[in-house]
Amino acid sequence: MTTITVLGDEVATAAGEWVDGRPLVEPDGLSAAIGWTLKPEGLCRDDMCVPVRDRSAIEVGDKIDLAVAADTLDRPTLLDPETSAVVLGQPNATRQAALRDRQAPDFTFADLDGADRSLSDYAGKKRLLVAFSSW
Amino acid sequence: MVIAVAIDEATDEVRVLADGITYPVLMDPDHLLTELYAISNVPAVVWIDENGRIARPNASEFGTDMFSEFTGRTREGHFDQIRAWVREGVVPNDADSEIADLDDDELDARLHFRLAAHLRRAGDEAGAARHFDAAARLAPLDFTVVRAAMPLRGESPFGEEFFKLLEEYQEAGSPFHGITPAP
Repeated sequence: MTTITVLGDEVATAAGEWVDGRPLVEPDGLSAAIGWTLKPEGLCRDDMCVPVRDRSAIEVGDKIDLAVAADTLDRPTLLDPETSAVVLGQPNATRQAALRDRQAPDFTFADLDGADRSLSDYAGKKRLLVAFSSW
Repeated sequence: MVIAVAIDEATDEVRVLADGITYPVLMDPDHLLTELYAISNVPAVVWIDENGRIARPNASEFGTDMFSEFTGRTREGHFDQIRAWVREGVVPNDADSEIADLDDDELDARLHFRLAAHLRRAGDEAGAARHFDAAARLAPLDFTVVRAAMPLRGESPFGEEFFKLLEEYQEAGSPFHGITPAP
């Protein structure tokens, strides 16, 4: 057993192991790392479940293949066994809804005082989103 | 209202830029906004209406005229368009522009960048360098990938590497996921 670092919406760790380059995590680790749980109906969070196409691909012995779980959730994935890390991108469908259907994706980031703020905190107003940097 | 998001982890530097600003200034050290909105350079400005609909997608707009000579665009031109939108709901003709999605390499580059930034914060400089390099190979003209990495790699954002990037970028026709407004 080893520790797999999961860079998703936040940084989390899950107990698991790398087998043939695949990140296999404990079922508890899956929920801790990505907030979704594998149930008979699929990958579930709150009241929502996403069906799993190939049960035998996601369930490997008593562990869960985190990369297959990420793929099921439509999230781009980078696997790096060398640093025992898995990076999960934002769901492709969210960006495509922005580009095609003009639905502004919500986000939550800390302000300069460390307080979390979301785009949706200011719903009902016209908003000018300005991406900038110091570099 | 304005919501500013720094595609940046240098909080102190951003704090200097945000001095005296009263609207929210948020930090996005993992560049998640670039994945959500297909942003490949800054500044990128998105107009979002009361219902959460994008009224005008990613556009290269500056808050100062410092770069006007370079961009052919003035700050006041953009401000006039914003006033017309806020007061009369009128959007410019380019508001219908289609923005190309990120391709697989551009997505992959963002994940390598995120891992590199994480490894750097954790003190693994060699691991960070490996993944900054991988990111730059996948998206060599993406400023949020290549230029953002420069200060994190101890390079000057206005040094030799930057001018090399700028030259290659301009030779390639300044590819940008967004509207490059007519002056």
